Amino acid sequence: MAGTDAPQMITLAKGLNQGLRAAMEADRKVLVMGEDVGRLGGVFRITDGLQKDFGEQRVFDTPLGESGIIGTAVGLAVRGYRPVCEIQFDGFVFPGFDQIVSQLAKLHYRSQGKLPMPVVVRIPHGGGIGAVEHHSESPESYFAHTPGLKVVACANPVDAYWMIQQAIACDDPVIFFEPKRRYWDKAPLDLATTPLPLFCSRVLRSGTTATVATYGPTVRTVLDAATVAEQDGHTLEVIDLRTLSPLDLAPVFDSVRRTGRLICVSEAPSEVSVTSEVAARVSQECFYSLAAPVLRVTGFNTPYPPAKCEEDYLPDLDRVLDAVDRVLAY
Amino acid sequence: MASIFALPDVGEGLTEAEILSWHVTPGDTVTVNQIIVDIETAKAAVELPSPYAGVVSELFVEPGATVAVGTPIIAIETGAEPAGATGPAPAGAIGEEGPSGRITTLVGYGPRTATVARRPRTAAPASPPAAAAAGPGLAPLAKPPVRKLAKELGVDLRTVSGSAAGGVITREDVERAAHVVDNGGAGSAAWSGPESGLDSGRGSSAGQHRETVRGVRKATAAAVVASAFTAPHVTMFLTVDVTPMMELRARLVAQAQFRDIKLSPLAFAARAVCLASRRTPEVNASWDEATGEIVYFDYVHLGIAAATPRGLVVPKIRNADRMALRDLAVALDELAVSAREGRTAPADMLGGTITITNIGVFGIDTGTPILNPGESAILALGTIRDMPWVVDGAVVARKVCQLALSVDHRVVDGQQGSQFLAHIGTLLSDPAQAITF
Repeated sequence: MAGTDAPQMITLAKGLNQGLRAAMEADRKVLVMGEDVGRLGGVFRITDGLQKDFGEQRVFDTPLGESGIIGTAVGLAVRGYRPVCEIQFDGFVFPGFDQIVSQLAKLHYRSQGKLPMPVVVRIPHGGGIGAVEHHSESPESYFAHTPGLKVVACANPVDAYWMIQQAIACDDPVIFFEPKRRYWDKAPLDLATTPLPLFCSRVLRSGTTATVATYGPTVRTVLDAATVAEQDGHTLEVIDLRTLSPLDLAPVFDSVRRTGRLICVSEAPSEVSVTSEVAARVSQECFYSLAAPVLRVTGFNTPYPPAKCEEDYLPDLDRVLDAVDRVLAY
Repeated sequence: MASIFALPDVGEGLTEAEILSWHVTPGDTVTVNQIIVDIETAKAAVELPSPYAGVVSELFVEPGATVAVGTPIIAIETGAEPAGATGPAPAGAIGEEGPSGRITTLVGYGPRTATVARRPRTAAPASPPAAAAAGPGLAPLAKPPVRKLAKELGVDLRTVSGSAAGGVITREDVERAAHVVDNGGAGSAAWSGPESGLDSGRGSSAGQHRETVRGVRKATAAAVVASAFTAPHVTMFLTVDVTPMMELRARLVAQAQFRDIKLSPLAFAARAVCLASRRTPEVNASWDEATGEIVYFDYVHLGIAAATPRGLVVPKIRNADRMALRDLAVALDELAVSAREGRTAPADMLGGTITITNIGVFGIDTGTPILNPGESAILALGTIRDMPWVVDGAVVARKVCQLALSVDHRVVDGQQGSQFLAHIGTLLSDPAQAITF
């Protein structure tokens, strides 16, 4: 893509597609592999057109076996390739979990630094698309808990474009979460702007009433809530965490020291999760600034429900606003 | 195979729509997303695109008719095999908004595209969950920034009672406690003696002025109210000839060990209280309402009510019962100096077991002292005057002093209080009796 063009409106899906394309153009060692990523272009069309342009040697369909996809990628990485694996849906990653945790996360360490593992595992996560079981989960905490893995979550088209390229350029394995119900959100992509580094959180909106930290699909939910909260005279400071491992919490600490209140939002169940970690770290670092306990707005500690019930499960604008009322009541 | 297209919900929760006009007739060939019909809903007139490609075989609804959402309105012969309602959409439609207002996906109904509006707000404001119980042995309840403030101001939160719901300590509580510390003590009051003026918060109008109740005054008020309306007070009086005590005092101050020491009648009274309490342990005890027990102390932490320029404070002499008269005199003098200079530490005002209030310094004969909260006895020491006194049938001038003892009648019966007061009287009127205690 030319860098001088005027900003173009792209969807998050298109941002990923163009980011993958840019990475493949920049480095011949970048490969794309996964179920239906080739001829079909992926069920969400993220890899649309890549096989046509880069060939079946670099963009190839795999059997329906996630363990094999990750294991193959590990071997390719040992031989100097930079594979980008697509896991078709969040709930499909678990057959590959052993390869990710036992091999991908450990080889660099096990080889005393001789074997970097520049593998990206792309996982569409979260619900809200009315899908059946295994298609709407938020498994990011499993990976953030594992040393040796980097875990990031993009939330908008611009981040999607840049973060996928940065993840591919990273020599460590990166679990790359994509908010599947936001694939078709649009934003202007200006290639002239300098992207934020990969492992950084970002303040999206300034405010003084309370800090709301979130990532992935609920970033837009929280931004919508912040807009509505203005009707109540509340200004919410919204932070997109972007990186879940390592967490970049310095901006969150700075914000909480000003607002005294933190709400952490995620679709994942709350117990022993990314939001737990944020709450614990903020309690430790900002203890004397907290005017209310850290509240979390999350999915429930249940299996993801059937599609017809999912809107009662997912954190929505009203649940975020309720949490704002609750932190202000202390 | 004909595909049936039913009227979709084109808005949020619409239930019906009127068919305005058809753009197609049976036999027409249509493509995906081609506009086939105009409808009017409660919100707006909209055009509906075809979800199918094929040939129109039948129109089910006449223009002008109002039909419910879900009613079949058109059949299109697609030539394809029948597909389920959630079957794969045409490949070209992935990521496009479908007729139901959702984006078409290969799996699932697809995400909604409509902006989510907030639901009506409930009128009731959110309230935080009730605080955990406050009480002895538990960590004090306070928000972290209040803890920080307390630390900075040197306030021990365990000494502050919380004014918020559930006993939670507020910023104002800490600031008030800090103000008290500044003023020389968080006094629990035993005696409402003359008060010095408060230094701020004044407002005035004709013939009167108002002062905000704060600091020592506020603490004093709270303490005396708590005590007076909790512990049933009984006060008893005894007038004693303390001439022998004063003679002893005159002899002692001439001795080397008492040189440079202020040996006041209060020191004798303090010693007498310590000695006498051994024989009547009920006066050196506390009524514990929470546990339903009476706590007897093996030690005497003797409170001395002291009027200071900033108000009444009651610092304690720890383990006063283990002190000889000389040590008591020294401790009393130090305590008086500290109180006057406002240097009494908050910790020095806690944990008393019995109190003496020396109202004699004001030239007063006697009064009815109010117990320090939690204690069972308080002795008021009146002024010592030259008074006519009958000695061996003759009226002579003697040094005479009135004693008043208030006790918590829940703990101390009249007999025990009388005995205690009589013992003090004996010790002051005939100090040599101390050798028998």
